[in-house]
Amino acid sequence: MSESAKAEEGGVNVIGWIAQAMLPIALVLLLLAFAAAEQRVLSLGNLQNILIQSSYLVIFASAQMLVIITRGFDLSLGTAVSAVSVVSALLMTGSLAGEGGSLGLAIFAGVLIGLGVGMLIGAFNGIAVAWFNVNPFVATLGSLNISLGIATMASDGRPVFNVPREFSAIVYNGNILGIPAPILFAGATLLVLHFIMAHTVFGRGLYLIGGNPRAAEVAGLPRQRYVMIAYILCSVIAALGALLLTGRTGSGEPNLGGNLTLESIAAAVIGGVSLRGGVGGVLAVILGALFVTVLSNGMNLNRIDGNVQMIVLGCVIILAVFLDRFRAAAT
Amino acid sequence: MSTAPGMAMQEELTSRILRVGLLPILLTLSIAFMAVFEQKFFGLNNIFNVLRSTSFLAIVAAGQMLVLIVAGFDLSVGAVIALTSTVMAKTMAAVGAAFPEQNAVIIPLGILAGLGCGLFIGLINGLCVAFLKVSPFMVTLGTLSIATGLALLLTQGIPVYGMPNGFVKDFGRALWFGLPTTVYVALAIILAVWFVQTRTKFGRYLYAVGGNLQAAIVSGVPARLNVIMAYVLCSMLASTAGILMTARLGSGQASMGGNSMMLQSIAAAVIAGVSLRGGVGKVELVALGALFLSILTNAMNLLRVDSKMQVVVLGFILVIAAALEEFAQRRRRHV
Repeated sequence: MSESAKAEEGGVNVIGWIAQAMLPIALVLLLLAFAAAEQRVLSLGNLQNILIQSSYLVIFASAQMLVIITRGFDLSLGTAVSAVSVVSALLMTGSLAGEGGSLGLAIFAGVLIGLGVGMLIGAFNGIAVAWFNVNPFVATLGSLNISLGIATMASDGRPVFNVPREFSAIVYNGNILGIPAPILFAGATLLVLHFIMAHTVFGRGLYLIGGNPRAAEVAGLPRQRYVMIAYILCSVIAALGALLLTGRTGSGEPNLGGNLTLESIAAAVIGGVSLRGGVGGVLAVILGALFVTVLSNGMNLNRIDGNVQMIVLGCVIILAVFLDRFRAAAT
Repeated sequence: MSTAPGMAMQEELTSRILRVGLLPILLTLSIAFMAVFEQKFFGLNNIFNVLRSTSFLAIVAAGQMLVLIVAGFDLSVGAVIALTSTVMAKTMAAVGAAFPEQNAVIIPLGILAGLGCGLFIGLINGLCVAFLKVSPFMVTLGTLSIATGLALLLTQGIPVYGMPNGFVKDFGRALWFGLPTTVYVALAIILAVWFVQTRTKFGRYLYAVGGNLQAAIVSGVPARLNVIMAYVLCSMLASTAGILMTARLGSGQASMGGNSMMLQSIAAAVIAGVSLRGGVGKVELVALGALFLSILTNAMNLLRVDSKMQVVVLGFILVIAAALEEFAQRRRRHV
């Protein structure tokens, strides 16, 4: 949206350009600063590590982006991840426990049920927000509790072990032409999302609904249906990320979601997805997720206390909203 | 207009329910339910428990309400409780080491340090929201992270002991005329907030700022100052709850409050009909909301409902309450 506005002005908007370039520059500076303190930061192994780590966050942040664009957000993302992880792990291990369970079928069923759980949680959020006009904060706070309950009840609070190794081999250790599977999955998700957001009526509609609800109504966009689909897509993409994480840990974890909700919102907003709705894209999500990952990776390698990291993340979040203001003022 | 008498009666009933609000009805129903199914609920000890947890929650929720009225919200209340708890206990332990047995010095300094945490976090929240017009969600998410990190950093997760015995025994765990201290403090706070909301200019300004910001500014309401005050009061009320909880527990803990206090305080306010769009909210109803949530939790405990299931129930109740509220509001608008 902002790009097109600038193009119409014709002239070179210096402040706008600075606002856009600020994050990539900050990212590079951050990387260099950490590298100055600890050389391993710039090693090839660590850079690949950062890419793999950030690909999970990219997936979750892009899910979050879909609903933030409609002026909402999804607090249930983290616990939905936990619920998906537990339920799909239980199904995979359960269907292999009996005599002659087929491995391929078990994995397929596990993936399917995982995505199904995501879809259900998303449908709950979407129906509450779009049809019953419940504030997104309250609606997703409710489903946060519900999916947390599902995750802990189904697993009894313990990790579900014995997820088939073949599953991990595909979604974690697998690679095509040397590119690790998590990066491939994240890349594919981003490509599909970019296509949806930039080239379909639905995607353009979401921007209009978030950016100018009155105009969207006048244009006759089916607001309720679009918003509901946005919430469903958000949770399904989060479920995909949950399956990838389950493959990485090799077990279904009832607290896998942990800080993912806050991190995914932070990453999206730092990247430039506006909480006021209508602004944001795939590129913003990539930059934001990379920034958060580089920050925590660098602090880890420099052995900064986890509690201090928490304080730093808090400061970065507040800085990000300053940045958001600045961007909005500049464009 | 001629309508069938049955329709008219139904209309009348719905509008009466909407006027009274769902909360008193729900409260009566749940107490009646417990009277039938679990008499233990009415034991003196259990009633004390319910009153005590209601008081903690009501204090925090009253603060949350003030922020909700100015169309914001505060995710950091739980973290403020944790920070207050650890800072106060640390201060008391340190001052106690310097001036042994001087309770008249130790206790006020500790409490001041605790309230100072609330003031500090509240000021950050309020200033960022009022002057930068940034989303309260992000700002308070940031201060949540900062306050939790500070509390953990101060204690490394270990409980802080060393508060004067008198503070814990004669204040935190004391009974006055048969009721815990906390209950009196909560009542005093609810009364004070009620007075502010109904009888003072500041109270009416808060509604004005939250209800229609432009109109409030045009009529000369100092909007920014009021928003800052709302956030500061919210954090300081959370601090007060933190002080009471710490005094009762006898040690400062970084795990106190946490996310559940934040979620419950918002839930209590929303159930009590405080609008997330701002401009609406009454403290007496919020106290009832806190009472309802505490009774619900207590009842589920007594009926041995699995704690994991309880979380699910709370989630559903929250969403249903919000949906009903929205429904009621739309009816009022149509009428």
